[in-house]
Amino acid sequence: MNEIRIDQHLDLKGVPCPLNFVKTKLTLEGMAAGSILEVLLDDGEPIANVTASVKEEGHQILKVEQIKNYWRLVVKKV
Amino acid sequence: MAKKIYTDTELQELRTGGIIKQKQKDYFILRTRIPGGYLKADILKKYSVIAKKYGRDYIHVSTRQGIEIPWIHINNIPKLLKDLKKSGVLRGACGPRSRNLIACPGSSVCRFGFVDTEQLAQKLDRVAFGKDVPKKFKVAISGCLNSCAKAQENDLGFLAQGEPEVDLGKCIGCTLCAKVCEKVCGRGKREPAIVMDKDKRPVYRKENCFFEGDCIRVCPVNAWKLKKTGFAVYVGGKVGRFPKFGIKIADFVDEKQIPKIIKNTIRCYNRIAEIGERFGEALERQDLETIKKEIL
Repeated sequence: MNEIRIDQHLDLKGVPCPLNFVKTKLTLEGMAAGSILEVLLDDGEPIANVTASVKEEGHQILKVEQIKNYWRLVVKKV
Repeated sequence: MAKKIYTDTELQELRTGGIIKQKQKDYFILRTRIPGGYLKADILKKYSVIAKKYGRDYIHVSTRQGIEIPWIHINNIPKLLKDLKKSGVLRGACGPRSRNLIACPGSSVCRFGFVDTEQLAQKLDRVAFGKDVPKKFKVAISGCLNSCAKAQENDLGFLAQGEPEVDLGKCIGCTLCAKVCEKVCGRGKREPAIVMDKDKRPVYRKENCFFEGDCIRVCPVNAWKLKKTGFAVYVGGKVGRFPKFGIKIADFVDEKQIPKIIKNTIRCYNRIAEIGERFGEALERQDLETIKKEIL
C-alpha cells in the first residue's frame, strides 16, 4: 500500500534554495498531469521551502519523509 | 529678489498641507501621501508631469511611502496647488499632525500576509491622516509577524496574527510543522508551539505560538489551517534621535476595531502629551493599564 509508482526522480541533495525549487518546478512542468515526481532534498530550509512552494503551485503532495539526514518528497503533478 | 507673496501665517498654513521649506531660499518641497503605499499607475504619471512642470524632473521617495517633489519655487505654489486638486495626487502632512499610514504588500500578493492591507489602508486614511497632535503621529499596518511595515517603530502599529489549528485526520505525520515551528520559536526564545507526540502527531501549545503561520504554509496536506486572524496592537514606538520600541497592548484585535483604536489613541495622545512630545515619551509617565482601557 505504501508503494507509489514513481515516474521521475530528482536528487537535489546539496542544491540550495531557491535553485532546488526552480529545478523541481521545471521538472514538473515537463511532466504529464497525474504523473509522480520523487525529489530528494536536504534537511532544514530546502525541505520546508520546496514543500511549501510546490503546494502553492497547486500540486498534490503524496509523501514527505525523512531518510537519515535528507528528505524524500513525493509529488503528483496536477 | 522674489516678492514676498506669503505671510508667515500663510506659510504655516501651507505646511499643514505638505509644503515644506527647503534650505534654499524661495524653494519648497511638495510632500504627498500614498496610503499604504498603493498607487494607481495613472496617478504615478501625474507625479511625473508635476515634477517636470514645477520641480527639477525628479522625485524623492520618502521612508513613509510618500513621494516628495523638491524644487518648487514659491511663486509657483498657487498654480501647483490648483493642478494638484485635479490630479488625484494626495497632499501629505508635516508639522504637528498625523502622517501617512503605511502598510506592507499584504495578503493579496504576499504568501505571508494574513490581511488585505490595501483596502484597509484606503479605509483608514480618513481616520489616521492629518489630525492635529502635539508632535507627530504615525500609524503602520503589517500583514504578518515579519513586520515589513515596522509596526513596532510607529506611534501606533498593527501586526496581523493568524492562529492555526490542526485536523489530525488529514495529518500524514511528516513532522515539517514541528520543524518550522521549532525554528521560529527558537529565534523568538520560546519553547516550540508544535511538538510531535510519540505517534508522530502534532500537539499544539498555543501559549508558545507567534501566530506567523509557518506551519500552515509548510503543511503538505493542508492539515494545518487558519482558525482566526486578528491584530497585535503596539503603542508608543518611534525612531528619530531617541528610538523607542512600541509596547504591545493587545493580541487578536478584530479588524473592525481598528478605526476606533486609531481615534482613541490620537485622543489619548492629545490628552497626555505636552507640545512637542511624542506619544511614546508621554506614555512613560502613564499607567499602562489605564491607557489600555482608554485605547482598546
